[in-house]
Amino acid sequence: MVRAALAPARQIGQGPVPGARYVPAITVVIASLILAVLPIVSTSGWFPDLGFLVLIAWRLLRSDAWPAWWAAPLGFANDLLTGAPIGLSVAVWTAAMLILDIADRRTEWRGYWLEWAMATVLLLGNEAAEWRVAQIMDASVPFYTVLAPLLIAVLAFPIIAFFVARTDRWRLGR
Amino acid sequence: MATARPGWSRKAQYGLFFSFIAAIGGLLIGLVMLAISLVSPRAYDSVRGVALDVTAPVTGGLREVTATVGGLFTGAGNYWDAAHQNAKLKREREMMLQRIVEAKAIQLENQELKAALQLRERSEKPVASGRIVGSSFSSPRRYAIFSAGTADGVRVGMPVRSPRGLIGRVIDSGSLASRVLLVSDRASIVPARILRGGQPVISQGRGDGTVDLRPLEVGRNPFRPGDIVITSGTGGLYPPLVPIARVVRLDDDGAIALPLADPGSTSFAIVEQPYEPAAVAEEAAGAQQVQ
Repeated sequence: MVRAALAPARQIGQGPVPGARYVPAITVVIASLILAVLPIVSTSGWFPDLGFLVLIAWRLLRSDAWPAWWAAPLGFANDLLTGAPIGLSVAVWTAAMLILDIADRRTEWRGYWLEWAMATVLLLGNEAAEWRVAQIMDASVPFYTVLAPLLIAVLAFPIIAFFVARTDRWRLGR
Repeated sequence: MATARPGWSRKAQYGLFFSFIAAIGGLLIGLVMLAISLVSPRAYDSVRGVALDVTAPVTGGLREVTATVGGLFTGAGNYWDAAHQNAKLKREREMMLQRIVEAKAIQLENQELKAALQLRERSEKPVASGRIVGSSFSSPRRYAIFSAGTADGVRVGMPVRSPRGLIGRVIDSGSLASRVLLVSDRASIVPARILRGGQPVISQGRGDGTVDLRPLEVGRNPFRPGDIVITSGTGGLYPPLVPIARVVRLDDDGAIALPLADPGSTSFAIVEQPYEPAAVAEEAAGAQQVQ
């Protein structure tokens, strides 16, 4: 958050919380876990992929949230917890990290709108990969059925990004 | 140009470079793992079972809370217009009593006829009973988490049903919980019959909580809105005469139906043995030979 720089100088005794380095990764696992233990039965599958949303929200907020390869084990945990085909999130999440690394080199400036647009593209990629894998596994549904969950995920991104930014300020003790 | 170089420190530069290489490695590993799970879906059974065992008890505990809260709201709703509802229920009860007597008579007749034909009744003891505690949320696939696992005798491939109708079949099982492929999943195909008339049809999920019904014989669309579809027992996995779904809309050569056992409001469900275990095993062996 740029606005954090405008805040009054910090108090003595404030600073990063212990294990601040691992907080982003832990929040991603917690987000996957929320979806895994949510005691509701969904018959439409329109819930956003919370783990992926938190992952790209962190990565769009900071480029040093974690080394890019951490996405692979985080994706593996997500696959295990949410029951997706093993390897799907590993591949998609790592690819998202690499795409954002490249995007970091290409973009001259960043803003809320650009970040939201990048998140939209990544969420579309995620939904499309899920859809294609389901198709390979004999469960082909028409592509328009992923548009509703995609819209919900895109609209959920700013909320997730807000909570991620708050968590980032808490972990750094600002 | 915005560069990715983190200053002049060689250590930091190498760190960034190796992290990039590791990420590409991670991507490749992910693709290989995905390919394995697509080619042989049973490859990760044990790891998946462990993950299920870790999360399902939490979901089960929380499910009690949502059921209670949901019950409060529907309970309050029942008081609305109670007198009118009461009269209606009394009328329905009268009708039901008549039907029960008729059904008992038919059952008796049926037993006598079966005895005459010397058909053996298959004993259908449930393997285990449990609750539907959770589900898949964010994919085109429709799974549910069921609160009984291999410790209770649940095995992959067994059919799951509730008093209201068919729910699906087990596809992953941990020792405490298992994952059920719901009837509404696209990959779930159930041989069925229309209750009125007994015409054979095929039920396939649509991934959004409804199922697609197609008649096996080409011709006029046999469905009517409100028709109930039941399992036919063909194929040997699902037992016959279990209600599946009710037709809600017709399309050009089939119909769209709503499963009768809504996994969202089902409290208890039972796992049964495959109807004809021999036939299912034979089919599996045949499939392996083909591969």
